[in-house]
Amino acid sequence: MQMKYLKPILVTSALISLNQWSGLSFAQTADQLYKRGLAATCANCHGTDGKGVVDGGMPLINNLTSAQMLEKLKAYKSGALEGTIMPQLAKGYSDEQLTTIANQLGKKQ
Amino acid sequence: MDRRHFIGQSAAAVGLLAGLSSHTKAANLQKAEILVIGGGYGGATAAKYLRLLSNNTARVTLIEPNTSFVSCPMSNLVIGGSRTIAEITSPYDTLSKRHGIKIIQDSVSSIDPDKKTVILSSGKTLRYDKAIMSPGVSMNFKSVEGLAQANKDGVTLQAWKAGPETVALHKQLAAMREGGTFAISIPEAPYRCPPGPYERACQVANYLQQHNPKGKVLVLDANQDVVSKGALFKKVWAEQYAGMIEYRPKSNVIGVDAKTKTLKLEVEDDVKADVLNILPQMAAGEIAIKTGLANSNGRWANVNFLNFESTARKDIHVLGDAIQIAPLMPKSGHMANQHAKVAAAAIVAELNGWEINPAPVLTNTCYSFVNNREVVHVASVHQYNAAEKTFKTVPGSGGLSPAPSILEGIYAWGWAHNIWADSLG
Repeated sequence: MQMKYLKPILVTSALISLNQWSGLSFAQTADQLYKRGLAATCANCHGTDGKGVVDGGMPLINNLTSAQMLEKLKAYKSGALEGTIMPQLAKGYSDEQLTTIANQLGKKQ
Repeated sequence: MDRRHFIGQSAAAVGLLAGLSSHTKAANLQKAEILVIGGGYGGATAAKYLRLLSNNTARVTLIEPNTSFVSCPMSNLVIGGSRTIAEITSPYDTLSKRHGIKIIQDSVSSIDPDKKTVILSSGKTLRYDKAIMSPGVSMNFKSVEGLAQANKDGVTLQAWKAGPETVALHKQLAAMREGGTFAISIPEAPYRCPPGPYERACQVANYLQQHNPKGKVLVLDANQDVVSKGALFKKVWAEQYAGMIEYRPKSNVIGVDAKTKTLKLEVEDDVKADVLNILPQMAAGEIAIKTGLANSNGRWANVNFLNFESTARKDIHVLGDAIQIAPLMPKSGHMANQHAKVAAAAIVAELNGWEINPAPVLTNTCYSFVNNREVVHVASVHQYNAAEKTFKTVPGSGGLSPAPSILEGIYAWGWAHNIWADSLG
């Protein structure tokens, strides 16, 4: 690749990095904020950022990968998986929202 | 200069400008003084999530008069004697130690929304750019004749705000004469915690079964019928507490005679009881009313549901029990915690110069103990409806327990430990 193609991109990304470093110490975008906010709807029962109280009585979710979590959430939503509250709550979220939640709270693998 | 080079430079310039613009707005987030008034489920969660969602850059001060948090959910178990007040109490200091929130132990005596200042009871004045008010409910003791004095004298107790009255009401129950009557009166909805009075009836009866088996529980309900989990509670009353709990709908208590422990009802004959747990009508917390925020019938605060900003005053956001609810939205601690997260995210977005989330979601989960082990729940999901500018429950979602279970008793404590950690830990 010719250097002259790359240069503006480098300059721009350097400025963006600078902005994130100096302007904000806030490496977050509006999209990330949205995703964190959506996932926080689960935190009352399953802990802040999905880190539940150990031995608190509520099933822990942070041992699941994002893929496993999404599979489980979709099974609750479809009725394939029985439960107490989760089948009722999962039906209130769109598939897209459940995917976002699973991506936010599940272990990355 | 060739064209490609020009484009590159322009892109860089645009990037720089965007960066500067973002920088200015981010500085707004860092410089803004955010005051959170009230450290209940709504306020404590708002303070914590403002810090979390701003990656610890927002400046957040929490004003709360109490040194520790006592949970209303689970407090009926303390009245029933199966749990202690210590088990439902959490410290506030984790919010300062772990999350860098400044906590001022004081209450707010007044707010000037024009000058954007808050005057504390100590006399100190604080300036704010954003205020979040989560004042809970105020008890309108005047709605029942004689109640203000009776409650002041401790003859009657509300114990609806968990704390010393919770412990005092348990003591009154424990000291009740053999075969005596414990009366609970319920005001017309809306009030804080719709299933709470019915759970309380179960807890009192559960205590009586063990310690005063000839004792009675009389539930005087101003509403047409049981407001929440009706079929489940009625089944439990019939099966577990037959002959012990008497439920009277459409029974509005309008007066109390503290000397003779007599309740005056709107329609029916007077009722005498040994322990009087009179819940008066409720409204938004006093500071919300005093600030002119209770613009729904003078009782509750209307808010913009996208960010929970008061519709009466700019830059004051109201959370929790104090707001005029959306359809089927309960006044619960869980819901206040959810309000707080939507408000915190919206404030972080706004101060960053970003569009606030146009489609927030709320959930509610409420567990009620029908004895000291078995529990029933009600749950719901509320998605924002842009056309109607309100939250609406999603058809087909939510619901109730089919029957009381010990498993849900375990989950209920799991819920409590997690929401306390989520709000205060």
